[in-house]
Amino acid sequence: MSAATVAARLVRRRRLALPARWRNPVGITGAAMVAVVCATALVGRFLWTTDPNNPAWTRLQGPSWAHPLGTDDLGRDTLARIIHGAQVSLEVGAVAVGISLGAGLVIGVLSAFYRGLLDLVLMRLVDVVFAFPYLLLGLLVVGLLGPSRLHAMMAIGIVFTPQFARVIRASVLEVMGQPFIESARALGAGDLRIIGRHVLPNIVAPLTVLVTVYFSQSILAESTLSFLGLGTQPPEAAWGNMLANARGFIDSDVWMAVFPGLAIMFAVLGFNFLGDGLRDILDPRLGTVADAVVAKSKT
Amino acid sequence: MARFVAQRLAALVATLTAVSIIIFLAVRFLPGNILDLFFAGDNTATPQEIAAAEKQLGLTGSYPEQYWRWISHAFQGNLGRSLLSQQPVSAIMGSALPIDIELVILGIGLALVVGVPLGVLSAVRRDKGVDYFSRVAGLVGISVPSFWLATLLLIFTSRVFHWVPSLSYVSFFKHPIANLEEFALPALSISVFTLALVMRLVRATMLEVLNLDYVRTARAKGVRRRAVLVRHALRNALIPVVTVAGFEVGTIIVGAAIAEIIFGLPGVGYQIIHAIFQRDYPVVQAAALIIAATFIVVNFAVDLLYGLLDPRITVA
Repeated sequence: MSAATVAARLVRRRRLALPARWRNPVGITGAAMVAVVCATALVGRFLWTTDPNNPAWTRLQGPSWAHPLGTDDLGRDTLARIIHGAQVSLEVGAVAVGISLGAGLVIGVLSAFYRGLLDLVLMRLVDVVFAFPYLLLGLLVVGLLGPSRLHAMMAIGIVFTPQFARVIRASVLEVMGQPFIESARALGAGDLRIIGRHVLPNIVAPLTVLVTVYFSQSILAESTLSFLGLGTQPPEAAWGNMLANARGFIDSDVWMAVFPGLAIMFAVLGFNFLGDGLRDILDPRLGTVADAVVAKSKT
Repeated sequence: MARFVAQRLAALVATLTAVSIIIFLAVRFLPGNILDLFFAGDNTATPQEIAAAEKQLGLTGSYPEQYWRWISHAFQGNLGRSLLSQQPVSAIMGSALPIDIELVILGIGLALVVGVPLGVLSAVRRDKGVDYFSRVAGLVGISVPSFWLATLLLIFTSRVFHWVPSLSYVSFFKHPIANLEEFALPALSISVFTLALVMRLVRATMLEVLNLDYVRTARAKGVRRRAVLVRHALRNALIPVVTVAGFEVGTIIVGAAIAEIIFGLPGVGYQIIHAIFQRDYPVVQAAALIIAATFIVVNFAVDLLYGLLDPRITVA
């Protein structure tokens, strides 16, 4: 074998061989599932152009070529409604996680960085919010402001802020204990610079896992709230309210109840798989959502 | 230890107070004047009638006065009257609570009784068939929406067994069999999430613990496998599991509320959701307080339990 052939073979093999930790079937499956959900939300309505709110067809049909997922009780196409539901779920997930991440970062970084009274006060505030089971807080917020998707997003964002704040605070505390922070200070770095250039880049790993896990929880929470009639309002399609609608028709058309639930499960499962995979890659020590819950009692 | 308990107790009281204030304010800021709702839009109420209504609804005086009145009455067991049915709220809550308590106990019980052994099995037979199945089932279990599971269970039993759970609630103490029949499906749908969580956690902690030196010592001493598993490894692995299960009571309470709506059981969750839609604010206030207080007290108890089980926490 010539040197050129050997070299060519080596190059090819290196390109295909992922680092060991990346060879993670769960994570890759998760990434694929999330990609499917995102694609559905972003381009689904251009590929399947039926109007999700048009009650033009025969009611309560099972799956058929014309309507792959059947029709609902008003004669609207279920596939189109599922696609719209994907948009709703992703939107709510993104906004809710955005709120929690933003607020959690501010609270977590500030209390871990400055400690003292600020830490005490902020953590007590966080405890109070944490003391509400999420549905109760969601009910109160939505009850206050009226049922709508926007208010559901805000409620979910508020409810998840404590978990973000706690984990971020714990991670920042760990980073602050490292010697390079002290050296940065000795070199004259100001607070903002230390936070921006040294602290934040080092907490990206736990943050990424948090974001994926709570994205899946937000999707679940939004569908629960819209199931109860407190989130996205009918006639707009959301997986939760589609399921609520279907409950009245399980005798005549079982399919109505199956597809929205499958969609919710697929999306949540995808993000959970992705989160597990990411955690394996980034830092197997990080542990699961359960560990973050246990960490509560140690802070 | 006493200091630990005192600290946690102080935190409990502080949190309860803050939460009650939030609930109080939340209901006061509901859009739409409560009085309008009370009179159902009837504009002919005389000033005396309005004043009497205000007094009955507890709206006289400044906010701190109203709050104080509400809290002191609550301690004496007087939670006001429902706007719709005029029944005392404490009676409504009194009949609703046993349903929730039973659902929560059944839910947690099922989750622990099935989840812990599965987790242990999964850890012991690592990477074999059982483990793989449990891991996937665990991930699926935390992703299934409980209301969908409940609906599917209903469809399944009504189509395949031609049976649906009865709609009228019977107490466990009067008709145990009928009661368990009624609560079987709701309890099952509530417990799945926690079951999966517990199973994953038990597996993870058992794997950690089984690698530790003291386990190896026990095996080297000649202790039988089962004794090693149960008496040494499991006991320590269960500590975080107990904590997580305790905190999961909140999720189960939420799940119970949803299951109550689906299966038509008139528990506290059912009451609060209907009361919110019907703007029956005394019921909302009372139910929210009960749910939040239960959650806080359970968390407190779990904290204490964790401190008891793991002495490192109390000393730290």
